[in-house]
Amino acid sequence: MSAVPSKQTPDMPSAETVEERFHRLEATWLAEVGYASSSTALRSHPAFQEIVGLGEAVVPLMLRDLEERPRLWVWALPRITGADPVPESDRGNIAKMSAAWLRWGREHGYRW
Amino acid sequence: MVGRIEQAFPGLRGTAYQVTSPQDDTYNCIAWAAGDTTDWWWPDEPNNPESAYWPPDVPRVETLEAFREAFANLGYVVCNDDQFEGGYEKVALFALAGEPKHVARQLPNGRWTSKLGPMEDVEHALHDLTRMVYGSVVLVMKRPLSAAEKGEVDRAP
Repeated sequence: MSAVPSKQTPDMPSAETVEERFHRLEATWLAEVGYASSSTALRSHPAFQEIVGLGEAVVPLMLRDLEERPRLWVWALPRITGADPVPESDRGNIAKMSAAWLRWGREHGYRW
Repeated sequence: MVGRIEQAFPGLRGTAYQVTSPQDDTYNCIAWAAGDTTDWWWPDEPNNPESAYWPPDVPRVETLEAFREAFANLGYVVCNDDQFEGGYEKVALFALAGEPKHVARQLPNGRWTSKLGPMEDVEHALHDLTRMVYGSVVLVMKRPLSAAEKGEVDRAP
């Protein structure tokens, strides 16, 4: 069976791994809206949406980042996983939200 | 880092602004202006796993009025200008096309401090942050400093 050649776009080299793509999109996201305080603007940016679209493959990458320091990935993880491990009282507290997601990751067998 | 900040805020180029914190995702400019470094403030829709903090009883809508009300809850009242007044602390709300984008807080030395989204805090002249990212200052509010806060100001170098 012959392989179907995949289309290549200029912004996505064919040899790019998921991790490379994740970091490239993150860099684009921060470069374009990284100074915004609006969570709406940050979450609706196409690069953020594309990161979410990478799906479960990027969950360990996000958890690795959260281990390093609290990050805004706490807004992407519910969209990717459908889970909601953050108590309602902790919403908005990025540090507590990050800790809750790390606990969730360990409980669900993720390695990062 | 400096090059990146100046690229986003060309008004800072050649000025005496200072980066005063490392990058930190845990709080944003609204929180920083309100004196909170533990929460991300934004009037997101409530009851959502992604909801940010927003003061209870203040409408969760992205309007100047909702932001004014959020700071009114902290004791700030609308004032006429951004000039330094002894015994008061001022905050300045930036908007672009009528949408709230940023809040800066005045320091005891008369300059202003801003948290740049999830990035760094900077000390700057108020209007050096205006233009394409945050728009311009549309509202200034002030609150009287408490005796303890005045004492801290007096002890400041």
